[in-house]
Amino acid sequence: MTSKITTSQTIGPFPHEAWRWAVDMTAGVDSNAPKITVTGAIFDGDGVAINDAWIEAWMPDSAPLETAHAIPGYRRVPSGEQGDFTLQLTRAQATGAGKPAAYVTVFARGLTRHQFSAVFLEDDAGLTQSALLGQVPPQRRDTLIARKQADGSYLWNIHMQGPQETVFFDYT
Amino acid sequence: MQFDAIEPGVYPELIHPPYKSTVKRGPTLAPLRVCDEQPTTTNLFASPKLILPHDMDLTAQGEGEPLGEKIVVTGRVLDEDGKPVRNSLLEVWQCNAAGRYRHKKDQHDAPLDPNFTGFGKMLTDDDGRYRFVTIKPGPYPWGNHHKAWRPAHIHFSMFGNVYAQRLVTQMYFPSDPLFEYDPIFQSIPDAAARQRLISRFSLEQTVDDKMLAYEFDIVLRGRDATPMGL
Repeated sequence: MTSKITTSQTIGPFPHEAWRWAVDMTAGVDSNAPKITVTGAIFDGDGVAINDAWIEAWMPDSAPLETAHAIPGYRRVPSGEQGDFTLQLTRAQATGAGKPAAYVTVFARGLTRHQFSAVFLEDDAGLTQSALLGQVPPQRRDTLIARKQADGSYLWNIHMQGPQETVFFDYT
Repeated sequence: MQFDAIEPGVYPELIHPPYKSTVKRGPTLAPLRVCDEQPTTTNLFASPKLILPHDMDLTAQGEGEPLGEKIVVTGRVLDEDGKPVRNSLLEVWQCNAAGRYRHKKDQHDAPLDPNFTGFGKMLTDDDGRYRFVTIKPGPYPWGNHHKAWRPAHIHFSMFGNVYAQRLVTQMYFPSDPLFEYDPIFQSIPDAAARQRLISRFSLEQTVDDKMLAYEFDIVLRGRDATPMGL
């Protein structure tokens, strides 16, 4: 006998004050481990920037490197007016080849339930052996791969709809 | 943990045209069912140090008492096996008694309350129970259509015990006349799933002459991955 689940509702437009503690905590994260920066923006089906989305990132393998922080391995950032977001991630040596740089959760007004995704790095030599990416149809894998920029950071955009619609997961 | 596919109609529709901003924001493709160990076996760890003294009493965060009806909201967070989700981070946020959020973009012509921020956070206990004191939120207009008013609600954000249990939802109050007109509530096709978002009045949890209580139990996805008998 299983209990019936509680369903989801949108975060709406106004979580900013309530969710700020984790944004402040994210800004204060520091560690001696190698860091990477993933920047991007989130867009709706018309290519319009979503300026009230929230991005959470979780790096289970990096958590042991951030034990001084209240929630090791966790990040939360709001999108800016241009839909823009920046994630400062810790790259753990323990992170196996082909694992995501971070598991990502997306929230927004007008999004009736959160969406799970993940971001991979294009210069990860293990991408072709990735157990998770291997479950994604080949023609859609690019939506999960951040591209390296001239300044060493990575670019990853999120598209809620359209030809580049990001792959969202439902874990089994 | 094991995550069964959700029965049709239990989750809200991602594209529900009466709720206008879903039309261009809801993904059009079904989520990809994937198998991955870490999201279904581990989670982020939230330190108890995160919980500040008045995070569980939203009426005690200002210089004085906020205006409105002081209430208790309590319930248990469970998984699909009915087991308590223990020591799990839970965030809440809401508007004040007049229907106004403390947010720079809230344009509703209703007063802010200097003694009410409208947010808190807590950890569930060993029984999966949470409890907080607040002010009953008011309904408010939201511009989706002519005379669009949201039923009174409190937003809940839960982190569960494994990552894939993450849930954000809204708790409603019994017998709200706005339910049938609210496209956010009605974006959930299944009537029983809608009903599960409505708290119930509890005389048992009511505190003497101080405040009425509402109970809201939450069932997160996920059940024990080990079949019985193995």
